Amino acid sequence: MAELAGTGARVGLNYLKYYGQRAISPQTSEPALRVGLDEVNARAVYGTFSRLKGGPLKLAQMLSMDENLLPPAYAAQFAQSQYSAPPLSWPLVRRTLEREFGQSVEALYDHFSPEAAHGASIGQVHIARRAGKKLAVKVQYPGVAESMRSDLRVVKPVALQILGLREEDIAHYFTEVEARLLEETDYAMELRRAQEIADACADLPQVRFPNFYPDRCSARVLTMDWIEGLTLDRYAAGDAPQAERDHIGQALWDFYQHQIHVLHLFHADPHPGNFLVSEGHLCVLDFGCTRAITPEFHAKQFAFLNPELLESNQRLETALRSMDVLLPGDGPAQQTKIMDLARTSVELLTRPFRAGRFDFADPSFIRAIYDLGEANRQDRELLSLRGARGRAESVYVNRAFFGLFSLLHRLRAVVDTGRGSVSIVGA
Amino acid sequence: MVHLVRRINLAFLAGLEHRVGKVRRIFYAMDQTPHELPPLRQRIEEAYLHELRSEGRPPVSVFRFCHRLGITEREFYAEYPALEAVERHWWRGMMERVIHSVESGAEWSDFSARQRMLAFLFAYVEAALDHRSLLLMRLGHKAPIQPVPEWSALEERFEDFARLQLMHGRTRGEIVSRGPLTAVYPKALRLLLRSVTAFHLKDDSPKFERTDAFIEKSVTVLFDLMGRQALDSGFDLLRFLVPGMMRRA
Repeated sequence: MAELAGTGARVGLNYLKYYGQRAISPQTSEPALRVGLDEVNARAVYGTFSRLKGGPLKLAQMLSMDENLLPPAYAAQFAQSQYSAPPLSWPLVRRTLEREFGQSVEALYDHFSPEAAHGASIGQVHIARRAGKKLAVKVQYPGVAESMRSDLRVVKPVALQILGLREEDIAHYFTEVEARLLEETDYAMELRRAQEIADACADLPQVRFPNFYPDRCSARVLTMDWIEGLTLDRYAAGDAPQAERDHIGQALWDFYQHQIHVLHLFHADPHPGNFLVSEGHLCVLDFGCTRAITPEFHAKQFAFLNPELLESNQRLETALRSMDVLLPGDGPAQQTKIMDLARTSVELLTRPFRAGRFDFADPSFIRAIYDLGEANRQDRELLSLRGARGRAESVYVNRAFFGLFSLLHRLRAVVDTGRGSVSIVGA
Repeated sequence: MVHLVRRINLAFLAGLEHRVGKVRRIFYAMDQTPHELPPLRQRIEEAYLHELRSEGRPPVSVFRFCHRLGITEREFYAEYPALEAVERHWWRGMMERVIHSVESGAEWSDFSARQRMLAFLFAYVEAALDHRSLLLMRLGHKAPIQPVPEWSALEERFEDFARLQLMHGRTRGEIVSRGPLTAVYPKALRLLLRSVTAFHLKDDSPKFERTDAFIEKSVTVLFDLMGRQALDSGFDLLRFLVPGMMRRA
């Protein structure tokens, strides 16, 4: 903990700035970008968080470091070390399966690989076979659910210090993140959500979902079809032609619009490892992090996609109050500050929607989003604003969109953004 | 669509009940001794345990014990040198059964020493669920380094088993001989057994999951120490334990 306490907010900011720039222009030569950055500090921060692993690491990712903006080398490490526990031993995997299902591994599957094929967020995935089908069996690390709460409690003050935030202002965000992280340890919940989303998205032809096998699923084990394909980051880094990239990007866009606007239940962790490209289709895996929203919240949150808000101060103010971003106690100067910020944010984040057809390869767009975030973090006036602002649900909605934009940027896809978004603009 | 989800949930729950029954059947099978006790020894053992479990203390005197059982003292002393020996022998029998169950596993001969110790400890804590109240009685208030007289025969049996596995590990190069330090290894494994038991008795996580994690991490640390690896696993174990320590603080 002493290590973390020594890592100040300034280091965190520099770290983010460095990563943001590198992500936007990965081909640029490194030395130029390294000027002005204390690289040793950045590595120390990353090293410290990855050593904490589990809850703390995920919390850090949630609050500040979107792994999609990290430079490839670090992003790869973050992706691999999502929980960063050593792999489960074969005797432990065997025991977990026997404990969960009351049958030996041999009775449960025709074949089961003792070594994990790859890691998952808080577990690992094994290849198995049953009735001629190749299966992916996800086994959770024992004790994670128990540790999650205490891990979060331990890291919270440190994260606050690094980010320069006050506890009372973001308490509701922590509660939200904690609730989602705890949900993630219940694979039975993941099964239910996965089936709900898959059923509701059955009409999207380009999006595929694995079959789950409920009689081999429990709170700690999930069994589903094994799908061959490339994870989205590897696909994006490959040499797929533009038309194909656009196709996959469109599938991803339509999938998200459908979930958020029609289903009001969405896959809230748009991490490239959660998507595969298989046989020209987008396949969605890992429903560990999903978020349901009420129609009421949905209406308020997406009222921001109305371009008329940008022209009318009155309407913008009303919308901000309805989302608890503007609070009754705010004076005129604070109000102006927040509304200016909101105006800039809304313009930027709704640009893809208003364009009708948007090229996500455009580096200036991602850079503008990043710069906005950084400017906000360094803004003294903004940091001095008190009060618990914003709705807790926004954390994951914003993360979902932010992540979506980052994925599409990586894909360099050109997407029709007017399709599928049910009466959003001009609502 | 909601109906579909609900049907799946109901089916899952129905299956679960059936499976819980099965778990008990698998592990009760382990309780059948590979070498059946002669009838008198078995009666003595059962009567002793019955009194221990129901009264919370062992039989007070040989005389009364024999009288209740309807045997003579001579018959008793033909089987056991003292009342305490009954319990010692029973605990040893429990250890024997666990060892037998893992050694007769199909993968045993292919397992490394580390994997064998893991498999053994998992089987051990599973078997311990049948005797939790007795374990609490005998070990619940003792630190892992404090001796437990009732466990002396069990620990001897375990140590024999542990030495065999260490030899197995040495032949495979998994465990490194470090001269005088090597003599410590069996003692370390005995301490591990006691630590795992202590942890298990205090564990209140669902399905005792945390004990599984503790076993995994401590075996890793111990075998890394006995082997050639660096000590990252120590940090992992500490991190696993630290939140708990901070909770108690």
